[in-house]
This record gives sequence, structure tokens and C-alpha cells, in this order.
Amino acid sequence: MALMPKRVKHRKSQRGRIKGNATRGNRVVFGDFGLQALQGGWIKAQTIEAGRIAAQQYIRGEGRLYIRIFPHKSITSTPLETRMGKGKGEPEHWVASVRPGTVLYELGGVTEEQARICFARLAHKMPIGTKLVRRRLA
Amino acid sequence: MAEKLNVAARNALGTSNTRRLRNAGQVPAELYGHGAENVHLAIPAEEINSAIRHGSKLVELAGVVNESALIRSVQWDAFGADVLHLDLTRVKAGQRVPITVAIVLRGEAPGLRAGGVVDHVLHQVEVECPVIAIPDKLEINMNSLELGQSITLDQVELPEGTVLLVSGDQIVVQCVEAPVDDDGDVAASGDVAEPEVIGRKADDEESAEDD
Repeated sequence: MALMPKRVKHRKSQRGRIKGNATRGNRVVFGDFGLQALQGGWIKAQTIEAGRIAAQQYIRGEGRLYIRIFPHKSITSTPLETRMGKGKGEPEHWVASVRPGTVLYELGGVTEEQARICFARLAHKMPIGTKLVRRRLA
Repeated sequence: MAEKLNVAARNALGTSNTRRLRNAGQVPAELYGHGAENVHLAIPAEEINSAIRHGSKLVELAGVVNESALIRSVQWDAFGADVLHLDLTRVKAGQRVPITVAIVLRGEAPGLRAGGVVDHVLHQVEVECPVIAIPDKLEINMNSLELGQSITLDQVELPEGTVLLVSGDQIVVQCVEAPVDDDGDVAASGDVAEPEVIGRKADDEESAEDD
């Protein structure tokens, strides 16, 4: 089952604009290394899940993976071969709206070498540019 | 050994002047504390980056002011790459200061060989220590951490003169069983059930009652 909210206030949302950089969720908090977005964009629930699997298959039981984003936003579409009009389409999938600087995933309990390889596999699944970031010591 | 920072007075204040300062490779800083007047400073970005990279918390200021100061807070840009602003507090030699120190794990836990994973719960801790003996980090040896065991703050060896400012029963690191992967639980298609809409059901019931 792909990620999506359990309860929502409204089934459909307006598209909105991704403006500026992330001011929250832009630090490594849980693990030792993080994958940080360099661009803004929508990341589908399926993509988040694909990234999780790609990372999990590499670390397999050694470290811990943390997913820092969640698809809160529903995206609608009208079916194929449908005439224009008749209102907004039905929700088709869910996305996480990501600003540049957001930490998408974190890894703990692995070496930097392992984290680098793992995030390289994971970054292939992402529709935006990313980079590896380290936890900053206090 | 405290890092030396060459500081200059910063007279042009405000957003645009500060932006110009940053573009010129300087970082705006503020020095305050001990009842003295605060001083607006400009510090070369390379010197600050070097001090932060080496984990220095105590710095020696040279230039428009010549005294020791503690890095109280650092403001970073959205990507955590550049320092935007620095807060410095004046300190005296015999003073004790509250400070946050990083906790670093060392060694290999035997619990890993038993199929466990190391869960680093607490990454930093608040301590109080003499300003001349601020520890860079607290190291924890995991060589005796078996599966199902944990290490609490009480078990961490603190440098002389350093005391914890938080409860000692907090878990720092634990060795737990590896979580089970659920790779097969992924929906194959994009068709998903819809989430519950808040208030939708209640509204429907109300309208039914009105009828």
C-alpha cells in the first residue's frame, strides 16, 4: 500500500507554488547521514516507496533508514478520452511537496562509505537533484 | 586550544549591508554578555568555517576586541553549507558554562553479530563545564553492548569538572533486533483507496436527520 494520509480535511487540493528554500526539515536529525533535495518538486508516494526499497535492499539489517517526507497532497486527473469540463478530476495519486534543502531520507548505524553507496542507489529513483549531508556535531 | 578569529567592527547594519558583507566573504556576528555593551562584528568566513569544522566552541577574538568568547549559536543557510550569522558571548577564565556536546559512538557492538542493529537515540547532551575545559565530544565505547542492552547517560564517562544538566536515566544507545523488511507490501498499481474525509460522515448524518 502506497503512503497516504489516513484522514484528510479535503479530498482535492489546489496545485500551489513551491517558493523559496526549506526552513524546516533541512537538518539531519535522526540518523548520521541524510539525502538532501537540491531542487523543489513533487515526489510521488510510489517514488518514496521505491526509494525506501532501494535503500533497504542495500543496508538490509545493518543500519536504520528514516523517511523524512510524507505525501500529504492529493493530485487529481481526468480520465483519458474524456471531454473537457465537468469539473475537477478525481484524486489519482499522492505527493510530497518538497522545497530545496529538505532532507528526504536519513541513515543511521552505517559508515559514510555505505551511506554514500546507499544514497546513490536511492537518488536514482528521485525526480530531483539530491546530495549527501552529514549530521552536524553540536 | 581556542581558535583565533580576526574580527572587525561592523558599522553598516541592516539587511542589504549584511548581504553585501556576506558576498564579500565575511560573516556578521554579535558579541554580548557580562553586562557590557554588545558589539557588532564582521569575521572572515574561512576562519569561522575552520573553527566550526574543528569543533571549537571557545574562540579568541583579535582585532577590534581582544578577548575570549564562546560560540553560543550559529545560523546556517537552508542547505547547511554557509554560516549566516554568529552569536558570541563573553566568558571569563574561571567561569562554568552550560553547553551542548555531541555524543559519538566508538567500537563495534557484539549485539550486531547476534542480528541486532545499533540505535543511536541521543546524539547530543546538555552539560555544564569550566570554560577552559569544554569537551569536543563525549565518546561511548560500544564493545560490551549485547543484543537487547542499552547504555544510559549515567554510564557515560564525563571529563573532570563536567556535570550533566539532564536526567541520567536517558538511553543514549541501544542494540535492538533488526526491523523486518516488508518489501512485498507495495501496491503494484497507482489505484489506491481514498482516505477518510474529516467531517464528511457527520455532515451526511446531519442532513439525513434534517430530512
